[in-house]
Amino acid sequence: MDTREIIEGGYLEALLTGDLDDSTKQEIEERLAVDIELRSAYYTIEKKIELLAFRYSIEPNTQVKQRLMENPTIMNAHLPDDNPQVSSFSWLSIAASIVTVGSMILSIYFWNQWQDSNQEITTLLAEKTILANNFKQTNQQLDDVRSDIAVLVNPAFSRLILKGTDNAPNVEAVIYWNKEQEAVLINSASLSKLNENQQYQLWALLDGKPIDAGVFDAQSGKFQSMKNIASADAFAVTIEPIGGSKAPTLSTMQVYVSTS
Amino acid sequence: MDSTIEINAVLAKRLKNQDATAMDYLYDNYSASLFGIISRIVNHREMAEDTLVEVFMKIWNQIDQYDQEKGTLFTWMYKIARNQAIDKTRSKDYKTSQKSNDIDNYVDMFEDNSTDKTDYIGLTEAIAILGEECKKFIQLNFFMGYSHAEISKKEDMALGSLKTKIRRCLKNLKVGLNKDFGY
Repeated sequence: MDTREIIEGGYLEALLTGDLDDSTKQEIEERLAVDIELRSAYYTIEKKIELLAFRYSIEPNTQVKQRLMENPTIMNAHLPDDNPQVSSFSWLSIAASIVTVGSMILSIYFWNQWQDSNQEITTLLAEKTILANNFKQTNQQLDDVRSDIAVLVNPAFSRLILKGTDNAPNVEAVIYWNKEQEAVLINSASLSKLNENQQYQLWALLDGKPIDAGVFDAQSGKFQSMKNIASADAFAVTIEPIGGSKAPTLSTMQVYVSTS
Repeated sequence: MDSTIEINAVLAKRLKNQDATAMDYLYDNYSASLFGIISRIVNHREMAEDTLVEVFMKIWNQIDQYDQEKGTLFTWMYKIARNQAIDKTRSKDYKTSQKSNDIDNYVDMFEDNSTDKTDYIGLTEAIAILGEECKKFIQLNFFMGYSHAEISKKEDMALGSLKTKIRRCLKNLKVGLNKDFGY
């Protein structure tokens, strides 16, 4: 199993509750010893359970402690000095207090440090995701540019400039047309942006009849792939309701080019 | 992440030296949290207290087996408490003293909103937004001693799905380990 599988498969939680068979348990424990990411994930789980255990703790009866501490193994372990004296006892308590206070301070210090590094890991992971996304995006853009160039350098594509009609005298659009493959690409060039419920629609005209070649939006500098057209005497672009119309609204014709 | 491990190391070392003052400290700091776990498994006050003493004796006698490479001191003690409590429920005495102790008797411990305990900022809120199912699974598995096998049988859910479900539940418990935890 790799690190991801162990984490996402819930094996670390199962390790804590003893819900693993011996060989899996051993495998996970061995991996924990060497894999920092696993250790950190396990540590987070341990801390959550510890936190819950403390929040939902139940105070035992006070006599229980007495019973425990009076157990002979513990009693005898608390070896008194050879000559028990009051002074040595208070020394012990002072030392114990210092150790306790010291460990409290240490624990706060180390806890804070742990928090910081945990925060850092989170930030780094987030940055990593952003970088990966950027990389993906850039790659996509590169692919787009590559396919655009492939069209531009392919002699099978002819380039047609659609000129503005009286409706839009200064406007142009460009079509790349590969008759053999029937492929039509359009660059909306200087066609202006339309309002939300309108789209441009490309028409191929053959023997005086319009053939729908698809709708597109104004996206200058980008090739938009249109419907396949095998032959046409001319191409024209009209403005139609979003999604396009069955027949062109000729009064809105923006650009036009004859193929002959 | 070396923090608690360092503290644990100091405490564990003192215990390994059979230092009774370390035991005293350990009891004062951990008995209630461990007793909380034991009590939710062993539904009998006296037997739960017996178990708590047994657990601390085990901690005392087996501290040499604690390996800080394998987890925190608390986790090690937690496992001992959980196992000892489960063993207790299998004892003859317990069985004769108890009516029944099955999953159906599940009581939502998260409903305990007593204010006398330290509430780590955000914990109550984090629990509040967990789904009911998650709350139940976390309690059954981590606090009431039920194994995956027992829960999956009861809830009619495949073992593997239960395992990933529990993982997601715990993951969704967004306690502020980063920013707003205690201190």
